[in-house]
Amino acid sequence: MEKYLNAPIKDIITKFPEVGRILEDYNIGCVPCTLGSCLLKDIVAIHNLPADQEAQLMYRIEKAIYPDRDIKKPEGKAMARKAPVGKIQYSPPIKKLVDEHALIKRWLELIPEVLEKIDIESKACRQLILDGLDFIRSYADKFHHAKEEDILFGYTDKNLDIIKTILQDHETARSHVKAILEALKSKDRKSIIEHLGAYGDLLAEHIKKEDEILYPWIDRGLSTRQVGELFAKFNEAEESMDKGVVDRCEKFALEAGERVQKMERKKEEVK
Amino acid sequence: MSDMGMGGCPGSRMQDFREDTKGGKEEGGTRQSQLRQWPIQLHLVSPEAPYYQKADVLLAADCVAYSVGDFHKDYLKGKSIAIACPKLDEGQDIYVEKIASFIDDAKINTLTVMTMQVPCCAGLVSIAQQALQSAKRKIPVKSIVVNLQGGILSEEWVS
Repeated sequence: MEKYLNAPIKDIITKFPEVGRILEDYNIGCVPCTLGSCLLKDIVAIHNLPADQEAQLMYRIEKAIYPDRDIKKPEGKAMARKAPVGKIQYSPPIKKLVDEHALIKRWLELIPEVLEKIDIESKACRQLILDGLDFIRSYADKFHHAKEEDILFGYTDKNLDIIKTILQDHETARSHVKAILEALKSKDRKSIIEHLGAYGDLLAEHIKKEDEILYPWIDRGLSTRQVGELFAKFNEAEESMDKGVVDRCEKFALEAGERVQKMERKKEEVK
Repeated sequence: MSDMGMGGCPGSRMQDFREDTKGGKEEGGTRQSQLRQWPIQLHLVSPEAPYYQKADVLLAADCVAYSVGDFHKDYLKGKSIAIACPKLDEGQDIYVEKIASFIDDAKINTLTVMTMQVPCCAGLVSIAQQALQSAKRKIPVKSIVVNLQGGILSEEWVS
């Protein structure tokens, strides 16, 4: 089993698909992960399951890999499947990041509707996408991701696979943004739909991963001293950011829904 | 634990824990104090003292240190302290100003407020929150609530 504990999860799931299904039973969403490079042992540790659930999980995984092996079943009742995740308590600096996610999600949730109604010849539609890209670049990337990359991840081991996965997500997101900008210039509808859709899906999954797994894990490892330091560093970073840009981005996220509705009403009127 | 049936305020109701402390393991040797300053009473301390500058400060209700067996090792270590009783102390407006001065002038890093579970003790968290609201700087504030026999009931960041 040692061999598999130190193996990337994607390799294990490819070889033993049942392991992916078992992980999903414990709300561990490795199956849709784009990289899958985290080691099984790190995944189990990072999710911080109660001891009895972790023992059950490991028993089931080992049984899936070695069905003929005589493995002692852990004592105690089997875990409730799909156990609901309780309300996560974040430290104040981590809570700032989670609140920023809430704003980013407002735009992400609108993307499918925008793609469905996309009218590349409409100036209002192109402007909405351009403003959305400005929000992504200025707020989600420059303001939020920069705080993670320049400050938060300094409190972790950057060589850990989970951190590498998160950083890779940031890079992939940036490449989608670049592609959308180019597609807008050339009015390439297909490419806009492809990259904006992919960006929305990627970021939604990325935020879920951070809110539910990465942040609670980082929080558990922070001392009181580090929580205070992190809070002060985030404040400094926020103060160094142009307030006008942050206000513009917040305004965009709060008003984007109304703009989409307005665009739709205008389209109906023309019909 | 035996409740002596006195009723009234839970903060002053008589309770006898003698039976619960029997049979504990005898500990040998001595343990070093983690206290790194004097004075400690909130009316007596000065936010200008060097040990408060950029420190992680523990604001403990008077009774806490008597209740929590490993208070020094688990909670006081590495922190500067101030103690107060939100039920009996006078001049609590001064407490609000002094804590605000810890935040703005001493530029403390964090504030941990440790109180007993009795209702009157929650006043200390309220004092800390008032101070935070009146301060210019913002810092993380944690509340730890201790039960009468020294167990930790809750530990959470409140702002």
